[in-house]
Amino acid sequence: MIQIQHLYKSFGNLEVLRDINLEITQGEVTVIMGPSGSGKSTLLRCINLLENITSGTVIVDGHDLKDKNTNINFIRTEAGMVFQQFNLFPHMTALGNVTLGPLKVRKLAKSEADRLGRDILTKVGLADKADVYPDHLSGGQKQRVAIARSLALRPKVMLFDEPTSALDPELVGEVLEVMKQLGREGMTMVVVTHEMGFAREVADRVIFMDEGVIIEENTPEEIFQNPRNERTQNFLRKVI
Amino acid sequence: MDIGFDFKYSVMWESVPMLLTGVKLTILITVFGLLIGFALGALSGLLKISRNLLLRKIAGVYIESIRGTPIMVQVMFIYFGLPLALGMRIPPMVAGIAAIAVNSGAYIAEIVRGAFQSIERGQTEAGRSIGLTHFQTMYYIIWPQAFRRMIPPLGNQFIISLKDTSLLVVVGVGELTRTGQEIIASNFRAFEVWLTVAIMYLIMTLSLSRVLNYIEKKMDINV
Repeated sequence: MIQIQHLYKSFGNLEVLRDINLEITQGEVTVIMGPSGSGKSTLLRCINLLENITSGTVIVDGHDLKDKNTNINFIRTEAGMVFQQFNLFPHMTALGNVTLGPLKVRKLAKSEADRLGRDILTKVGLADKADVYPDHLSGGQKQRVAIARSLALRPKVMLFDEPTSALDPELVGEVLEVMKQLGREGMTMVVVTHEMGFAREVADRVIFMDEGVIIEENTPEEIFQNPRNERTQNFLRKVI
Repeated sequence: MDIGFDFKYSVMWESVPMLLTGVKLTILITVFGLLIGFALGALSGLLKISRNLLLRKIAGVYIESIRGTPIMVQVMFIYFGLPLALGMRIPPMVAGIAAIAVNSGAYIAEIVRGAFQSIERGQTEAGRSIGLTHFQTMYYIIWPQAFRRMIPPLGNQFIISLKDTSLLVVVGVGELTRTGQEIIASNFRAFEVWLTVAIMYLIMTLSLSRVLNYIEKKMDINV
């Protein structure tokens, strides 16, 4: 589903990703962990080209992102992105947020998009909030609308950039629950998070990054119980 | 103590019909000046944040040169200066509208730029991430939010421009201030007439802020 080869990314002189190689297969749930500044968000953002790739190859669903013929807007609909700060459109209702993509990108008819939107909002447990504006939603509800907004495009991969980091602790669970359900349904997911419980329960693989490099990857059981790299051990000690 | 001043209400009432013809022109110049000024300002504001350096520079020169010179000088330049270069007279009304448009446009450009830049980057990213094009993101996501944020400063600029029309006395446009001057030239009742003129400006600016407050409230429900 996603192949990353020798990916480098720099911001000016600052090298944030160095020689990343990663293959993500269909239906796989990958969790990326690591200290802040380790490049994990940047890696995620390279997958749907919110960041330009400095060098290397990223292939999403068979499309080389560096290829001039690749339609970037199309790739972005294939790889849905969920942000830490939700980034809901404040001037649209929950349903408006969810149906914008289907209407303007997928060119669905209004009635069809509305039906799709309501279905997906029901799926994330927010059927009754369709006509509510983001300002009147809790953080957890906002993030669930944001997930629904991405799902409405029927993406092949979902990218989550610290989706629960901006939430009050008591609201984290409802968002993770939606994500777990997606994972169980076979959605390919790449999740940057520090939620160990989520990783343990849903992830097929945990990747540990530091200073722009993947320093360890393994199943969640292995990486949490027997971290091999010293930096992984240090990090896990602090997080747990 | 008698200071030889007797205030006459009647002078105020008598001056009203003539002043109203001035009010008409003031409103006309303000409306057309601001319509053009808004178009000019929206365009230059967007140029100022475009990715093209040349376009940014062009907008920058316009904005800086207008903000950096007195509107009185701009008015006289357009009415007395430009015709010499163009080899044709510019009617006072046209010069007046042009002056208000060019002047307000520079300030509106900064309002537009500020409003656009105040919208969080995440909004653009969210738009792009659901596959919208750059233009669609601007049109459906950034513009509606930016527009709401523009309303209060725009209102301020509209009121300033309305009052700035009084400077057009120097080119002889028969707007409200000019009409006041003419009445005083014939009856010498400066106190009553200027007071009436001031009240008329006040009525116009207060009505304008009322309308703007209403629009702001109507649009602000959800943001």
